[in-house]
Amino acid sequence: MTNMIGKGAKRIDAYDKVTGKGLFAGDYINQFPNLLYVKALRSPYAHARILKLDVSKAEKLEGVVKIVTGADADVDWENFPKSAIFAKNETIWAGQGIALVAAESLDIAEEALDLIEVEYERLPHVLDYYAASVANPASIIDPEFETREAPSFQERPGEKPKQRKSPNIVGAYSLDAGDVDRAMEKADIIIEKEFWTGKKTASALECANAVARYDSDGGITMWSNGAGVHGVIKAAVCRIFKMQENKVRIIQPYMGGSFGSRLNPYVEILTVLMALKTKRTVSFEYTRKEMYTSAPSNWPCITKVKIGAKRDGTIVAHDYYLAEEIGAAVNNTFFTGRLSSSGACCVYNIPNTRMDTCAVATNTVPAAEYRGLGCPEAEFGIECVINELADELKINPVEIRLKNMLKKGDRNPYGELITSIGLSKCLQACADAVKLNEPSVQPENGPWRRGKGIATAGKQNTPLGRSEAEVRYNSDGTVELLISCDENGMGITTSLAQMVATELKMPMDKIKVIKGDTLVTPYDNYSASSRTTYNTGNAVKLAAEDCIRKLKEEVAREFGVHPSKVEIQNDKAILVGSHVQEVDIPSLFRPTSPFSQGNWGLQKGSPVVGKGIFCPAPIHMWDAKGKSDRVWNWFQYSACAVEAEVNEETGQIRIINIASSADTGNPINPKLVEGQIEGGVMMAIGFFVNEEHLYNDRGEISNSNMGDYRLPTFLDMPKNKNFASLINPDPLPDGPYGAKGMAESITIPVGPAIAEAVYQAVGIRVTGYPMTAERILQLIKEKEAAL
Amino acid sequence: MSLVYSNGKTVRVSLEVNGKKLTADVAPYMTLLDFLRKEINLTGTKHGCDDSNCGVCTVLVNGLAIKSCTMLIMQANGKKITTIEGLEDENGLHPMQKAFVDHFSVQCGFCTPGMILTAKAILDENPHATEEEIREGLHGNLCRCTGYVKIVEAIEAVRDGEYNPGCACSKEV
Repeated sequence: MTNMIGKGAKRIDAYDKVTGKGLFAGDYINQFPNLLYVKALRSPYAHARILKLDVSKAEKLEGVVKIVTGADADVDWENFPKSAIFAKNETIWAGQGIALVAAESLDIAEEALDLIEVEYERLPHVLDYYAASVANPASIIDPEFETREAPSFQERPGEKPKQRKSPNIVGAYSLDAGDVDRAMEKADIIIEKEFWTGKKTASALECANAVARYDSDGGITMWSNGAGVHGVIKAAVCRIFKMQENKVRIIQPYMGGSFGSRLNPYVEILTVLMALKTKRTVSFEYTRKEMYTSAPSNWPCITKVKIGAKRDGTIVAHDYYLAEEIGAAVNNTFFTGRLSSSGACCVYNIPNTRMDTCAVATNTVPAAEYRGLGCPEAEFGIECVINELADELKINPVEIRLKNMLKKGDRNPYGELITSIGLSKCLQACADAVKLNEPSVQPENGPWRRGKGIATAGKQNTPLGRSEAEVRYNSDGTVELLISCDENGMGITTSLAQMVATELKMPMDKIKVIKGDTLVTPYDNYSASSRTTYNTGNAVKLAAEDCIRKLKEEVAREFGVHPSKVEIQNDKAILVGSHVQEVDIPSLFRPTSPFSQGNWGLQKGSPVVGKGIFCPAPIHMWDAKGKSDRVWNWFQYSACAVEAEVNEETGQIRIINIASSADTGNPINPKLVEGQIEGGVMMAIGFFVNEEHLYNDRGEISNSNMGDYRLPTFLDMPKNKNFASLINPDPLPDGPYGAKGMAESITIPVGPAIAEAVYQAVGIRVTGYPMTAERILQLIKEKEAAL
Repeated sequence: MSLVYSNGKTVRVSLEVNGKKLTADVAPYMTLLDFLRKEINLTGTKHGCDDSNCGVCTVLVNGLAIKSCTMLIMQANGKKITTIEGLEDENGLHPMQKAFVDHFSVQCGFCTPGMILTAKAILDENPHATEEEIREGLHGNLCRCTGYVKIVEAIEAVRDGEYNPGCACSKEV
């Protein structure tokens, strides 16, 4: 019996990665000696009219093969992913593509960019929510939004905003549960605040990269580090370039991180464009600068949180406004505020909840998915207000949360049934780990002041997409698992192999995972919304069960028993009621010989194949009040407690002690879960304390490199003994082995916990993040001035 | 054929990579990173930022951890280079590689070669490095996945002799 569930099995890809033998997308270029290299010329202005664009000198440079511009009429730019749309007459963010060059070498391509002549006429730009959402904004990002035909519900689940003050407001959603106004009247205390968040980039260490081979039949074979070989990349290539499905093959090698940011194909589309134009094999690697200025960022949110509570801490009403700042996302069919604002309905049982949300376009890089899908931004303000409520009412911050938290069997404000929530244990475990109830010991001398804080979070799983899996049982008793989910680095291939090992009662080393090749591996959409363990996991379990069923049938037929009398254990079949009790399965596969061959039964070299398909139930369209019993699928939860210190002279924040706990459902591999917790906490410390896009006067990101965009290093994290990663599962009934996803919820509570620790340390309340030293110092000075 | 065109101007460079002596004529502005990746196909060394900030291109140059994206090829002339491909030998993985496998210090794997080489350089120089010293030594190597916890764990395990004691001190120095 080999039960691998809950075991810390070693990563099956670790050897490839510690030896450098595993290939990433950019490592494929050496296989193509006649490769073309692509480079892009990009706009330095957030908003400008293109008066002149002359590529003739560049075209004459020896070694330049093709130049494409946004004015090229035979390119279907309208259908390109937002960040890959090149400017036609007007550039609407700094970093938007102007011209794309394919040349025989990188040097030639770069030289060609210098020879392209562009004249711009600068136009006014709007870079944030506040500038973009006023009645007469200086810049309108998508002037045709209002007149464009609204797509169907499937394409745009949301409404056009009712009271559209600014033409940059492009999508809306509202929820009206209970009676917020009446409930608010009964509150003993109401706290109302507005919160902002910064714009950030996932900054995976591998830049976006694609190599597209132009095949002899006019098709494309592409290696890229984008997510979703079937559901995202292949689908987009076929749609945009109107290519036959049998002429597009997408292969995903190892991926150097994604964190959601590679769910949008952009480098892939531009690379295929140039391969088709030149009929050559081409390679395109974004520069690090382009990863900030020209690849999707997250979407910041502005939230207005108004929470009313009784004196005993019972929350009676929540009135909530949220705006997603989505960048220069023209032809918007995605953003309405609904995704982010789901964060307001995950954790607390507040039957009187009203939400009014929208999306706002700006002249900044188009936004897309990033770990948490807007929930870190959406929940920051709520958690800060609940901490403030606890402080005002002198209630323990753990107690106030336990009092108001959703419990299993409750319905959230949407009306959805909660089937798994392990949050109370997460909360308590974190509080205990940092000794939340004991005040911080203050340093005797110096400017550092310490404080502690705690927060919780939930994140929905979007019921989206179909996962398929195939388990092949070979005639020698080895197994291949074929899947097409993404391995961004989280270790999913290992977890899925553990599931197959468990079902087939087989050691891990007999299982090989084959992944991410549209010609070979079955359909999956992508790894998004923390769905892969659940979605692909269920498909893998089904495929393994199907394979076992077929093996049982074969064995049963051979020995004249009913299949229910057969058990499969690794390479053995155990029989009941037969003259044979145990049989070596590989021995049943007949060799091909003129004396034994047949067109039925097991044959050497021909595997027994099991297939699994899993697709969660679809969303139930919400009613006029925004309510439905199925808006999302299930919820992952986490808590975080922090002890931080603040330098009163510089405003710097240091995390000295941190505990994070995940409700993962039953973890398939607890060591991999720990890795997700630790990585999530680090990522969150980065974006809550330091990371944000800064702009120069042209509206261009001024810190578009890894020196000035300050990602957390080894020195920004507490020491290992002061970092507790804890797992407190509540099994998900419909998850494989009770598991659910967890990678996104981890980041969410880190920020509000830090914010509370800052308050406890120096008595200031932040209303946004990143909580940079400059901002904290400013707040400290304002507080001192007010004294 | 050189993948990086040099407009005809080349310089001759001689260096030792993973114990093998090499001589090549390359563009004078070529970086050591491009030489390793594009000229001699050692793609275990990664490219992440071009300005020494991310650390995925780290290699050992005469035993010191160096970011190869900002070292011009002639600065490596006459030097001994170790890349991640040079760590595994006939006896198997280097202790640091083993420790990274065992301690789940690897996620996406893109920072891993640079991390392992820098970690090796730290312990080669200071076999008893404390956690603070390990963190200080590695703060030029970014990782976006792990939160650094399990990387530190692996290095401490090697330091504490859990992997073939004595091996932590390199053959190179």
